[in-house]
Amino acid sequence: MRLNTRAGLGAIALALTVTATACGSTEDNTAAASDCEGKIGIMGALSGANSSIVLPSVDGAKLALKQWSEENSDCNIEIVEFDTEGDPAKATPVATKMATDDTFLGVMGGAFSGETRATKSIFGDAGLTMISQSATATDLTQEDPSPVFHRVVGYDDIQGQAIAKYLSDVIGAKKVFVIDNSDAYGEPLAAMVSSELGDLVVASDKTQVAQTDFSPTISKIESAQPDAVFYGGYIAEASPLLKQMRDADIQIPFIGGDGLYGAGFGEATGKAGEGAIITCPCVPIEGGTFAEDFEAETGEAPGAYAAEGFDAMQIFLDGIADGALTREAMEEFVDNYDAEGKTKQIAFDENGDVAVENVVIWAYKVVDGELVPDQEISLG
Amino acid sequence: MDFNALFGDLGGHTLDGLTKGSVYALVALGYTMVYGVLRLINFAHSEVFMVGTWTVLGVYTVLGADDTSGMGMVIFATLAALVAAVVASASVALAVERIAYKPLRKKNAPPLIFLITAIGCSLVLVEIFGHVLRFFFGPPFGRAPVNVPSPIQTVVLLDVGGVRITNVQVFIVVGAILMMVALDQFVNKSRLGRGVRAVAQDADTAALMGVNQDRVIMLVFVLGGAMAGVAALLYTIAFDLTKFDIGFIIGIKAFTAAVLGGIGNLRGALVGGLLLGIVEVYASTVFNSSWADVTAFIVLVLVLMFKPTGLLGESLGKARA
Repeated sequence: MRLNTRAGLGAIALALTVTATACGSTEDNTAAASDCEGKIGIMGALSGANSSIVLPSVDGAKLALKQWSEENSDCNIEIVEFDTEGDPAKATPVATKMATDDTFLGVMGGAFSGETRATKSIFGDAGLTMISQSATATDLTQEDPSPVFHRVVGYDDIQGQAIAKYLSDVIGAKKVFVIDNSDAYGEPLAAMVSSELGDLVVASDKTQVAQTDFSPTISKIESAQPDAVFYGGYIAEASPLLKQMRDADIQIPFIGGDGLYGAGFGEATGKAGEGAIITCPCVPIEGGTFAEDFEAETGEAPGAYAAEGFDAMQIFLDGIADGALTREAMEEFVDNYDAEGKTKQIAFDENGDVAVENVVIWAYKVVDGELVPDQEISLG
Repeated sequence: MDFNALFGDLGGHTLDGLTKGSVYALVALGYTMVYGVLRLINFAHSEVFMVGTWTVLGVYTVLGADDTSGMGMVIFATLAALVAAVVASASVALAVERIAYKPLRKKNAPPLIFLITAIGCSLVLVEIFGHVLRFFFGPPFGRAPVNVPSPIQTVVLLDVGGVRITNVQVFIVVGAILMMVALDQFVNKSRLGRGVRAVAQDADTAALMGVNQDRVIMLVFVLGGAMAGVAALLYTIAFDLTKFDIGFIIGIKAFTAAVLGGIGNLRGALVGGLLLGIVEVYASTVFNSSWADVTAFIVLVLVLMFKPTGLLGESLGKARA
């Protein structure tokens, strides 16, 4: 009896092993048989105070996939979203998850610079290609380039120059007050604006992330008597800062970088936000099929980086259509990519940037809480 | 370092510091009263404040009060918001005590369990506003900062030698000090207050003398919550915004203020709060805002090195009128 049980168990175990092996090989066969299958990860602040800067680009990417899938119905490409809340600490585990899962062929992101900086070595080690729609910190490509990192937007040095140009040429400011949020995005951007403005900077102040009381900054603005204020940072702090400025009856122009480029800015700032200028290396998409398709799909006009998200996703999809179904092939395809995107001519240099002459910086104005394209800032 | 900026407008900066510190002090009262009676640091208190700010937003929204409202509406909306915020904050504080702490007390749980429960309650409340309510009702709930309408317009009331004093600053500082004087008198003079002091001094003896300990604890949470509600109204008047995690920084600062002044001491909370506010504004002016916290905590460490019980040191129980 005892012997029989053992034999029986052994038989079952053997059967299981055989079945498992069989299953394994079957799966392998199907994977090889189906030409195109894979996942593209999206990593960014999908919730939180700054999510309005990211969510439209995710919708843009989804639209790209939907349109592409209609033409390539034999393919099974899936977008997998990972919410990092823009926090580098939350982005690293997410990056590891994608890096260790071979079904991921590419990553759209990180949406912000901090999370990108924290994760690009993880993706680099795994050879997983990143295309960011909105991470604009200069050092990501200029000081510490990674072979896998690419972005379809211009970097902050270019934006900094554009902001300085807007302040001096369009606003005609003679005395500018420069404020930054002391973080990896705001500090270098403000530094670039300051160095471009040179003598036009009358005073500056540094603030903190999560600060709500800006009374010391307001006092400094009052005593410096500038004719414009620049803030390098994100919506969560810009909103109370601008409100307190307007409460203190400081009615001079307020200009911020793409960290404020989101629908959330108008909502959180209310009346005080009216007339604020926000620059962005993102191109306004009005008219044309993209805006129509986007509205039909999401019920909203294309928001922050929607077209950049579409472009970034389109590069991956073109790669898949081209047969780049391994990470190595995808990386090679993206490195050699050269095509007209929705926003600009896209081809990456050895650092992963698009050519400076193709980068466009736009100034937007807050009108009735909405971001309305004001003008292109010409760097020439 | 820019000492000229500080001394050039010392009065203005001090006033800014007092305004900031008044809110800290009002919230600090909740920490200090609960600590005085229960030896418990109620970390959920920061969220009691947060609920107050959302209540103010709710009242303004329902009444349609904003910066275009007439004088009558402004007064009515502000009073309604005050009452609602006080009731909401006190109710949340009481609910936390009834639901979370009371069952633990009945089981004689060790202090560490109370502490982790407090942190847990805090997170639950934060996520209710940051996630759960958004799931059911959508915006304005969620993680984004929300604009609170401001029926009270900021106007300069007085200009004393270049120091501009606004109506909002006066409202906040005077409101906070009035509330604290009232609370101090209540605890030191009234019969219920005597009960609070008795339990703080010696809970067992107080019980033997016929003090209803449970009722005193409830009272302490309600009073602390009510003060946080007042703080919430003053805060939204000053800053016109709220957020799901708005209590976090204020809570840490208010707790610091309570320790600085001597935790368990009502007047200490006032002194600690105002001092902390002033130090932060001075540091932000001399250096910049990123140095505010560094300087504030250096001051805290220095004070505690020489006076480990805080500036005023006494406990709630020993405080005499």
